[in-house]
Amino acid sequence: MDLSQYAELFLAESREHLSACNQLLLEWERTPANPAPVGGLFRAVHTVKGMAATMGYARVTDIAHRTENLLDLLRRGSRPATDELLQLLFRARDALETAVELSVVGREDELDVAEVVADLEGAAALLAGPARPTPAAAPTVEPAAASGGGRLVQVALRAEAPLKGGRALLVLKRAQGLGAVQGVTPPQAAFESDDFDGRFSFRLDSPAAAAEIERVVRGAGDVEHVSVGGEERRAAAPRAAAAAGAPPEATPEKSRHIRVDLRRLDELMDLIGELVTVRGRLNELAAARRDPAVDDVAIQISRLSADLQAGIIQARMTPVWQVFDRFPRLVRDLARELDKQVAFRVEGKEIELDRAILDELGDPLLHLLRNAVDHGIETPAERRRRGKQPEGEIVLAAVRERASVAISVSDDGRGIDRVRILERARREGLVDPHAETLSDDQLLRVLARPGFSTAEAVTSVSGRGVGIDVAMTRIRALGGSIDIRTEAGKGTSFVLRLPVTLAIVRALIAGVGRERYALPLTYVAETVEFGVQPTTIVEGREAIVLRDRVVPLVHLRRMLGVSGDAPARCPIIVLEMGERTSGIVVDGMLGQQEIVVKGFDPPQGTLPVFSGATIMGDGIPALILDAGGLV
Amino acid sequence: MSHTVLVCDDAIFMRTMISDILAQAGFEIVGEAETGSQAVEKYRQLKPDLVTMDIVMPDMGGIDAVREIVKQDPDAKILMCSAMGQQALVVEAIQAGAKDFVVKPFQPSRVLEAVQRVLG
Repeated sequence: MDLSQYAELFLAESREHLSACNQLLLEWERTPANPAPVGGLFRAVHTVKGMAATMGYARVTDIAHRTENLLDLLRRGSRPATDELLQLLFRARDALETAVELSVVGREDELDVAEVVADLEGAAALLAGPARPTPAAAPTVEPAAASGGGRLVQVALRAEAPLKGGRALLVLKRAQGLGAVQGVTPPQAAFESDDFDGRFSFRLDSPAAAAEIERVVRGAGDVEHVSVGGEERRAAAPRAAAAAGAPPEATPEKSRHIRVDLRRLDELMDLIGELVTVRGRLNELAAARRDPAVDDVAIQISRLSADLQAGIIQARMTPVWQVFDRFPRLVRDLARELDKQVAFRVEGKEIELDRAILDELGDPLLHLLRNAVDHGIETPAERRRRGKQPEGEIVLAAVRERASVAISVSDDGRGIDRVRILERARREGLVDPHAETLSDDQLLRVLARPGFSTAEAVTSVSGRGVGIDVAMTRIRALGGSIDIRTEAGKGTSFVLRLPVTLAIVRALIAGVGRERYALPLTYVAETVEFGVQPTTIVEGREAIVLRDRVVPLVHLRRMLGVSGDAPARCPIIVLEMGERTSGIVVDGMLGQQEIVVKGFDPPQGTLPVFSGATIMGDGIPALILDAGGLV
Repeated sequence: MSHTVLVCDDAIFMRTMISDILAQAGFEIVGEAETGSQAVEKYRQLKPDLVTMDIVMPDMGGIDAVREIVKQDPDAKILMCSAMGQQALVVEAIQAGAKDFVVKPFQPSRVLEAVQRVLG
């Protein structure tokens, strides 16, 4: 049987169970006296063990088996968790996770599990105590005198048969179909022990012929030898039972969920993407032709493909908890390591995002959470000195906005020291040397400069720069943005804004020179006209004032180095990302349409303002402008 | 007419694998259950010819589900799916009325043998 087809399912499901283990262990750690989580832990580890054994992953099975043993002892004893036990269980869970991941890629051999296995064994031995409790016998079959009537039936099960006690009991049950069973030796309680070797005998009071008795006994499966009435015999190989069967009356009810490989959804999405492109072309042709019949078909096709597209996008939507669920453990571990006290709260777990976006969010969020614990939250002593609760708070929250999802990481820690960042930014020429303050926006720009977070920043400043540039790049590549709010002594909050889906977005098509560019509508606030609005200079940048708001302008023509003159009057596309805004001056607007986003590997030296490419209705590619790179 | 089967296991992985093994052998999988109480409920609705039953499941375990099902239908044909080291639980399940058992990791041939024994 080809097991490789099940590997992904194994991986996905094991990850879910191990993630559940983390939540349960954390719960247990919070209230060690309450042993409620142990049942769930036991089941999760048990399930992983069964799956791993089926896949043939011996080491996963081994760690899971020993962890399960320990959990079983804890479960039966209903013991409160000691810190030592919990740490061991956390370690075992982590070892399992590593083992699962390595096994699936065929690198199981690289694992060294000796230490955690030995510790698990040790802990289990301590809990079990010297004496093993013997399970009570539950007599279904009358244990009668060995000298009772009937024929003596002696049975030996195959050496390799698993769970011989269960098999022996099946033999007895079948034999009971022929007559009374007595004098079972060894007594039936022994069947429940793992030491049972599969040899047993009983007396059967039945008129059936020896051959018949033997056939029935062998029918229980895994029987090596049977002797009836002292006369040992070896019967022929067991016959396959005839597959009779009455027609089923039940109306079949199929399960309502299936798992689909993400790649299949990607393929489907690509196909729909092509359909959307062709639809655009059809609409153009229909418009040129002015034939009502063709128009009608074009409209129908548009509607159907829009529904199809919405359906596929919906199928790709995944709740954020699938990524968020690993963070409580990470925050806890980090806080422990740094001797901080942190209450971690997650909100909006059920908010959904395109799977492809969600998959990219783990690392940036991890960076931000790590910074929050390490540099944001103060030590308990420092917090007390400042009149705060010794326990700091970090909140990870997801909120659905119009066409985007905002995910925030907020802490109530010390905040970022603007003065020191400003000094440093001035010294390095990152801001105007006469600048008196740094806005949140400028602060983020400074922090997100690669290399800004040097050792000095980490020690003397709060070290917020760590990884911000990495997180920023990743989020921008997804068509998203990052904003920061920080207040000295009160805390810091980062807000990530992301489009709900990546694959197909509605975009404005703008012309500059001879090229067309697509600008996703996600962050477009409005369009106004350049040449009509008066312009002004604010902080050295050309800007317009819209309803008392300063909107700095970006001339796309200049930025892209397009030769020739811009038209005297041209549109300004106003982009808004959180609090940041920018007006993009283009030559002309060519309408709105759905575009299919294609990944894009920009050649070296390309301006960092493109997030991808798309194919227009006429088959000619256009670049997609990245709102995050323009505001 | 092929035999109908209800597959009960809390792991999709296991349900998929058992379903694949049985479907390839010509059985019709008419339902799946993730918990013991679902198994009892679906048995009542579907009246399958065969039930495969995991022992450890959330909500209601497999052994309690066997008891409940046998109470409804003393002739119910239930095949336990057990892990190594569950000797006592398997014994308990058989006493509760399970007709046979297979042990993980499953080998298709052994699963089918056990199924034949149960249905035969």
